[in-house]
Amino acid sequence: MIPIESESKTKDGTPVVYISKENLIPFMKEKKDEGYDMLLMVTGVDYVDHLEVVYHLLSTKDGRRLLVKTKTDEEVDSVTGIWPGANWHERETYDLVGIRFRNHPNLKRILLPEGWVGHPLRKNYPMDKKQYVNLGEDGEDKVSYDPKEGY
Amino acid sequence: MEKVVEVNFGPQHPSTHGVLRIKVKLDGEIIVDAQPVIGYLHRNAEKLSEMGLYPKALIYMDRLDYVAALNMELGYILSVEKLMDVETPERAQWIRMMMVELNRIASHLVWLGTHGLDMGMLTPFFYCWRERERVLRIFDEITGSRLLYNYFSIGGVYSDLTPKGIDMIKEFVNTFPDRLEEIQSIFQKSYIYAKRTKGVGKLTLDDAIAYGVTGPLLRASGLKWDLRKNQPYLFYEKVNFDVPVYTNGDVYSRFLVRVEEMRQSTKIVKQVLEKLPDGDFYNKKYAKPMLVRMKGSGESYVPTESPKGEFGVYVIGDGSTIPYRVRIRSPSFANLQAVSIMLKGYKIADLTATVSSVDPVFGEVDR
Repeated sequence: MIPIESESKTKDGTPVVYISKENLIPFMKEKKDEGYDMLLMVTGVDYVDHLEVVYHLLSTKDGRRLLVKTKTDEEVDSVTGIWPGANWHERETYDLVGIRFRNHPNLKRILLPEGWVGHPLRKNYPMDKKQYVNLGEDGEDKVSYDPKEGY
Repeated sequence: MEKVVEVNFGPQHPSTHGVLRIKVKLDGEIIVDAQPVIGYLHRNAEKLSEMGLYPKALIYMDRLDYVAALNMELGYILSVEKLMDVETPERAQWIRMMMVELNRIASHLVWLGTHGLDMGMLTPFFYCWRERERVLRIFDEITGSRLLYNYFSIGGVYSDLTPKGIDMIKEFVNTFPDRLEEIQSIFQKSYIYAKRTKGVGKLTLDDAIAYGVTGPLLRASGLKWDLRKNQPYLFYEKVNFDVPVYTNGDVYSRFLVRVEEMRQSTKIVKQVLEKLPDGDFYNKKYAKPMLVRMKGSGESYVPTESPKGEFGVYVIGDGSTIPYRVRIRSPSFANLQAVSIMLKGYKIADLTATVSSVDPVFGEVDR
């Protein structure tokens, strides 16, 4: 058994489990064997003093749901080896919240262009600073603060 | 000599249903690798929702899946109501259920029409648009808008059904099944359509589950999984309907699943009209000026079955009038990820059939 840090419930009655980030991968493997065969989404939450990753699990056999939460400081192990569908969800979490996933096969930005500065879903992201995107000569997006260099 | 050629499909291409770009690696005509590139319609609805009051985020939900805006609103409203412990009158819930089913029909009709276009069939497009127009006129009569409704509110709906609206719905559900039969026969009697879709874009059940694929794609791959039946919300356990399941997992099965779903939705709307109780259409405790002062704390996620799959909004509240974190689980995002498996080994000509069978709507993929 992998030690659980604490347990609670969401308002709609789904159980929540807190797990330390060292135990994340063995815990997730255990849960997959218990029947949680689908990973619905990966969420990053910025609590200012720490970041949190939330995994929504679902068992398509009996309809059980589970939320797994882990506290982190920008880096956590990737679960793509357990659920291949985690690939894009982790890329999105990296893109928007800035949590790096170790051993991820292709950890690049997915929604924002490569080269974007900052992660928008952080609470300290400067909302008044505009960034302009333009297509470079090599076909990749270029990002700049100068309005003349993009749209 | 290098045999594999890399080709860009999109982002501006008529059959990508929006701004999807696929990097395809081709060996002759065979697809070796296909990687979807997304993000061209990104507006960050999650951040925008975190910047305003709870009721204000609703307009961003409308703009996710813009062909099924009410289904998107429903996912957010149910989560927020759980977060705030708001009770909804029965009549409001029945109205919501009916409107959502009508919108499911409209969304599937958009898919069916454009899917026909991708297959080189121009005729069904006009038939589908004619039927969808009737649904949009019903929405125009009841909600006041044709595409982006902002109709559901915390604790109910913004306006009651009008007698004229009910007549229009009755007329629609009575005539629609026959016309659907007509549209379906255009597809099914076409030898070319069957040839181009049967056995194309196959997705096995194991792959579908591993990649988090939900909705019609999952049901076409052989799993009877519909949240309306398996984890009912609103009053779905009180109405009678079937969940279509096919086991082939190809484009043709997805077509059959969606057509059958439209028929079942019509059945649900008919039953709602019979069972619709009298009463308030919104909770009188939460009148419109009150809504902006509503506070939420804790976290909640209510999964709903949108036309594309499991849709839900994970909302975290910190006890203030502004949501702390809003996370949108969009079905098309997960479904689109599986496109690279569906395409591997097929010919480049099958690409449009497969991509359109996923039914991606880019407002929802890119958020």
